[in-house]
Amino acid sequence: MRRVLGAATAVLLIGAVSGCGMAIPADPDGTLDGVIGGELRVGYSPEPGLIDVGAEGPTGPLADLVQDYARSEGAEPVWSLASEETLVDALDRGSLDLAVGGFTDKAPWTDRAALSRPFTLDEVPDPAHVSVMLVPAGENAMLSSVESFLDAEGLT
Amino acid sequence: MNATYERFGRTDLPEEQQHALRAAVRWEIFTLGYTAVSITLVAFVVGSSQSMKTAWIEDMLSTLPQIVFLIALPLVRRRPSKRHPYGMHRAMGIGHLVAGVALLAVGLILFFESALGLIKLEHPTIGTVSLFGTTVWLGWLMIAVMALIVVGPFIYGPPKRRIASVLHNKILAADGDMAKADWQTNAASIVGVLGVGMGLWWLDGAAAIFISIGIVLDGFRNSRAALADLMDQRALTYDSSTLHPEISRSLSALRALEWVDEAGVRVRDIGQVLHIEAFIVPRDENAGARRIAEAAECISATSWQVQDVVVTLTDEVPSHATTALATRSDQTPSD
Repeated sequence: MRRVLGAATAVLLIGAVSGCGMAIPADPDGTLDGVIGGELRVGYSPEPGLIDVGAEGPTGPLADLVQDYARSEGAEPVWSLASEETLVDALDRGSLDLAVGGFTDKAPWTDRAALSRPFTLDEVPDPAHVSVMLVPAGENAMLSSVESFLDAEGLT
Repeated sequence: MNATYERFGRTDLPEEQQHALRAAVRWEIFTLGYTAVSITLVAFVVGSSQSMKTAWIEDMLSTLPQIVFLIALPLVRRRPSKRHPYGMHRAMGIGHLVAGVALLAVGLILFFESALGLIKLEHPTIGTVSLFGTTVWLGWLMIAVMALIVVGPFIYGPPKRRIASVLHNKILAADGDMAKADWQTNAASIVGVLGVGMGLWWLDGAAAIFISIGIVLDGFRNSRAALADLMDQRALTYDSSTLHPEISRSLSALRALEWVDEAGVRVRDIGQVLHIEAFIVPRDENAGARRIAEAAECISATSWQVQDVVVTLTDEVPSHATTALATRSDQTPSD
């Protein structure tokens, strides 16, 4: 009896998921929905050679990459400058959609933010440097969007 | 080679039990192999889903009964010696206890970890992987792996339960029970991951709590049954549900002897086999060694499980011995 119930639940769940055309993964807090065709709130902390503070916002290959990502989702990046820890706090509070800087796959913030898969950039001082971007923890649609972009750019 | 399956200590196994024992060893080794593969598969996709992690650890723990069974088996086969005059049958009971306590401890740890995650509103992150040039959400892979390994327990669970009753082996019975719970674990983790996919972040932790409660209950039941046997409770059936039928069988065998006035037995389960002490009040004074041997033989003949029989002549059957043939109220283990 419990087997039948379990199977029925599974079938119903899968039916519900595929039937209503719901996108999986979805964001619990709807981060990606706010980004697409809207604003991409990006926090950055400068890292020489990757992203630097310029007269009109950040410059460098990482800044360009974020610009490209924003364009791919039809979003306008809104930059804010802060230290890494402050950026993680902002992600945790939901006041940022994305954070970039000197973050690597060894970043100690995994319980408060989601790390993208690691990627490497050309035209940087140390080509072996492995970068990650940070998105709010558990915002899995946002994370998937960022990682899909990185894959499409051939950087991962 | 066959000789190793023919005996438990001083007990010779009937053909049916020899077959069952061989099958048990085969199933236990098969299960270990199967679980090793599923643990490896899950390792690739476990990610940061709490329910996946909990199900993964449950998978690892589910090998404990098989391991302790295979370790205990060569020990319980040894003949009793001067140094170990009862044989080494307790090895099964000790293995049962070790497996039970491990389940209990890890189940509790996982329960609190999952509950803490929910209380702290930790949103589980499940990212993507690049598979042959396409970006795939890792959750789909998790669900695929879990759906693949969910079938295992249906294959090896029922035969283990069957063999457990033939062999009167409580580790096998526990193992079969855990297999029954295994598919629920895997199904729960699928629900948890699907929940995360749909943006219901709490479903992952809730599924993990459901799984860990299952582990805790398994651990509690097994530890309690193993402890009770190690503390020499009156023998119960392999699933600890009712009084062991050998108790009434040996009593009726004794009652059938015309020189027996009153009889009582103490029967304890020393791990698959039984240790029986019989107390007999004879009708007349000249009951000698021959009659004692006759009584011991009568009891031994009732079941292959009778490992050791001690018969004592006495004026009065001690009050803690079981004297009445199994009545309804005797059938409950709490009695």
